[in-house]
Amino acid sequence: MRRVAVTGIGVISPLGNDPDTFFNELTRGRSGIVGLPAPANAPAGRPTVELPRNHIGGAAAFDGARYFPAPKLRMLDRVSQFALVAAAQAIRDSDLVFDHLGRQRAGVFVGTGMGGAQTIDDGYFTLYAEGSDRVKPYSVLMAMTNAAASWIGIEYGLLGPNLTYSTACSSSAVAIGEAARRIATGDVDVMIAGGSEAPLNYGTLAAWDALKTLAAPDPDDPGASCRPFAKDRTGLVLGEGAAMVVLEDWEHAQARGARVHAELIGYGLCTDATHITRPSVAGQAAAMRRALDAAAIQPDEIGYINAHGTATLANDAVETAAIKDVFGPHAFRVPVSSTKSMHGHLLGAAGALEFVTTVLALERQIIPPTINLHAPDPECDLDYVASGARSGVKLAAVMSNSFAFGGTNAVLICRQG
Amino acid sequence: MTTLQSMQGIFKANFDLAPEVLQRDAALEDLEIDSLSMIEVLFAVEDEFKIVVPHEPAAWRGETRTFGDLVDYVDKLIAAQHPAMAGGEVPA
Repeated sequence: MRRVAVTGIGVISPLGNDPDTFFNELTRGRSGIVGLPAPANAPAGRPTVELPRNHIGGAAAFDGARYFPAPKLRMLDRVSQFALVAAAQAIRDSDLVFDHLGRQRAGVFVGTGMGGAQTIDDGYFTLYAEGSDRVKPYSVLMAMTNAAASWIGIEYGLLGPNLTYSTACSSSAVAIGEAARRIATGDVDVMIAGGSEAPLNYGTLAAWDALKTLAAPDPDDPGASCRPFAKDRTGLVLGEGAAMVVLEDWEHAQARGARVHAELIGYGLCTDATHITRPSVAGQAAAMRRALDAAAIQPDEIGYINAHGTATLANDAVETAAIKDVFGPHAFRVPVSSTKSMHGHLLGAAGALEFVTTVLALERQIIPPTINLHAPDPECDLDYVASGARSGVKLAAVMSNSFAFGGTNAVLICRQG
Repeated sequence: MTTLQSMQGIFKANFDLAPEVLQRDAALEDLEIDSLSMIEVLFAVEDEFKIVVPHEPAAWRGETRTFGDLVDYVDKLIAAQHPAMAGGEVPA
């Protein structure tokens, strides 16, 4: 099996639209969760039903018109806009130039939970609210789940596999893990991999609200609403954005003198097969063990875990128990943080954004904190880095956990490149 | 405003194509206007001329090799659907 290097990173997020800004804001402990005065991108005339809990979110300060000419923009749902811009950043960062042969041996794997959700919402609004049959002609092409990956492939002429993974909240961790496998087995030399999600539209917010998993907005400070591992946590906050990485065969990267951010050494994948939403200690633990086995390292070599940490009642206690199950006594020594406390839950893009977070933590030797954790849950008794970012650490290997509705658990491990 | 001028306006707004390149003998293929683009401007054309484009994409695409063919086709629809307006003036 070949080694896999991470040679490029791109980020569109509620905390900034490039990797540097994103990670700096994380280490400052700043929240990107804000009040949404109106559902993002709502067309005029949107019905004004008040939903009780839906009016906060991790919104990206992103205007597609800055990046795409109008004729192209009209073909791109917000989810594809995020994906294309993040991919462009990652490819620029990698300094890769695709020649004829390189394009044959390069592909794109993207994770997304909901695809072009804004387009679907707009279409239903036209049809049901406006009573018009003039649904946008490009609706199918904008809403289809594989649009984001396809546009990246078209943009760079990448002729290898182009796949979209949709395993809810682990989608993009799966996309990155599967992409790494393709490189490891020698099928391809370069993969653009990551995830994108744009769920801050009215219909999607209402659907999540109906599931009663969204956090109650903090009345004074929206940024204090998402409280992973806290006794007073009330649920998750949706966020939008994308994260993309360039993964590359180690020798290929070395041969062209590429800067290597990290080496992806472990990918663990398993399925709960128990309940459509309820997480399982056994399933989460199995995914972490498989990733450690694949990386061929011991649990005590992991210096930081970026937790799935959704701030739902169910997840955080289960994940804590799973970490203890896998790490034993080291569980109480390894720093664990949930950066979702700051950027929210990016669903299909969450795994990629948090994988990027671990890569940047490794590279800069700084562990980002869990914010809003003032009242610990007795069931959540690990070191959650609650008092602010931690520097002066010696990180050799780091882990990113992604778990999901549907039960697909994916864990990624990196070490210093 | 003539049908040609109005169509130039629609294509400028939708595809950022300058009126100078949108001449009667310009081939749609050369302008990179494909069947998808034609579907995208359909509503705009319908609204502009207060017409209904028949619901067969073939009719919208088949007879249209050049921008001029397209303008003629729209004129034909205007003539059929607004007999009083025939001659190129856009109905108010």
